[in-house]
Amino acid sequence: MAVADTPVYVEGIALNIGWHDATKDLSELIFDTVTLALEDADQSIDAVDSVVLAAHDLVDGRSLSSMVTAPAAGAYLREEIRFSDDAAGALVGAMTKLESGRARRSVVAAWGRSSEYNYDQFSQTLFDPIYGRPIGLNEFVLSAMRAQLYLATDHHKEQRTRASLRRDEAARANPRALKSGGYQSAAPYPLVAADLPLWADVAVALILSVEPAPIRVIGAGQSSEPYALGDRNLRALQGLQLAAGRAMTQAGTTGAQLDVVEVDGLTLIDEAMGLESIGFAAAGHGLEQLADDPRCNPSGGGAAGYCPPAMGLVRIVESILQLRGEAGVNQVAGARRAMATGSSTVAGQTHTAIVVEAA
Amino acid sequence: MTELITIPGRWEFDYTYFAGEAASRFFGELKDSRRIMGVRCPSCKRVLVPARSFCDVCFQRTEEWVEVGPEGVVETFTILTAAFAGMPKPPVVIAYVTFDGADTALLNVLTGLDLSNISDAAHRLQARPRVRASFVDEPQGRITDFTFTLL
Repeated sequence: MAVADTPVYVEGIALNIGWHDATKDLSELIFDTVTLALEDADQSIDAVDSVVLAAHDLVDGRSLSSMVTAPAAGAYLREEIRFSDDAAGALVGAMTKLESGRARRSVVAAWGRSSEYNYDQFSQTLFDPIYGRPIGLNEFVLSAMRAQLYLATDHHKEQRTRASLRRDEAARANPRALKSGGYQSAAPYPLVAADLPLWADVAVALILSVEPAPIRVIGAGQSSEPYALGDRNLRALQGLQLAAGRAMTQAGTTGAQLDVVEVDGLTLIDEAMGLESIGFAAAGHGLEQLADDPRCNPSGGGAAGYCPPAMGLVRIVESILQLRGEAGVNQVAGARRAMATGSSTVAGQTHTAIVVEAA
Repeated sequence: MTELITIPGRWEFDYTYFAGEAASRFFGELKDSRRIMGVRCPSCKRVLVPARSFCDVCFQRTEEWVEVGPEGVVETFTILTAAFAGMPKPPVVIAYVTFDGADTALLNVLTGLDLSNISDAAHRLQARPRVRASFVDEPQGRITDFTFTLL
């Protein structure tokens, strides 16, 4: 992938993680979040000519949900792309619009409201109806089988405990994390509750522009793994490895030059494997890195609040807050360059990696 | 003070999924012959199970059908100790098994393992034991026609 001629900048961000706020319907939650991002960018909606959304009908419980929700994100009479996958991919879609010259400023928004739907029911619908669904699979079953392969050696026990404690501490210290409410699903063996995400209501928005701004997107990469789960190497995230490699090549950076990484993963083990896949931890040392390295998921990852398909964009926004020096207690001193990743269902079939830099 | 209301919702639709020729033949073999079938990719030569009409890694059509198993090895597993909608009553073992002669793993329920002590059961499965496809008395041409049982 060649370095794009048109630089793309982040002008504004907004992140809302909450729970069961009956004062707002979904479109109001989206409107408020996009409005905050525009205010952060010091722009009005009139200056926006593109809207890219990441949303999922089954999460929203609304068929053709972008028809309901896109206007709340500012899509009225503007070019709109609807991305039904993890939201980090929506950011790549918006970048493409800007780099091609079709737009000069884009809203990128994503959301998911765990308090409105049942994740376990939703998760079962994600599997193919021929081979997977009759067995009754859900996402955690697959993460558990991946974890079983990863945790096969005893030396992970102590690291897993420390990584889990540090993740919880980071989430508690993150001012944007869910502080009350939410819930966790049941944990299939060998997963335990401390490995799981905290289901939350999440709305996130970002304003991308070709106008120079303090944060620049300097690299992006995507990759997909085979659909058939039995064809994949569940011990590795080959798609994420390739996506991160493409993003770093475009950015002209290496993992060692990153100050912060925010890796998306459904469970703590998935986050550890993600760190290894992007080259920020040696093979088999992802949990150790999560336990000891404050540059890794300083937001607290999935423990801070989780809901697909918004999480890749949440990781990007948390990275940008680090580069702006606005992350709060978990601020990594002097952070100038960061990578964030987003992984889709099912079991991380598709991956996006983004590199951002303080311009 | 406005009373904030919530409105219950539920989706319930019927679908008829076309399994296609490859899956139909795969399930027909389960039902009529109690055989597990794969296909060999003409490019990478891997035997893909369950049988399918193309290899998505090589982007090539597949035509050579190959019988695999009925024995194989457990690649990985999970044990569900809590009830999940649509699943048998817990505890339940779900496993990926690579059948002899196959290059990809197939997922299904593993039965016949003593699950009275989850740690002991997990320890046994961590050794990647060999298993066999055990068929139900009256196969219906579905993935649920068989489970994995320990040899």
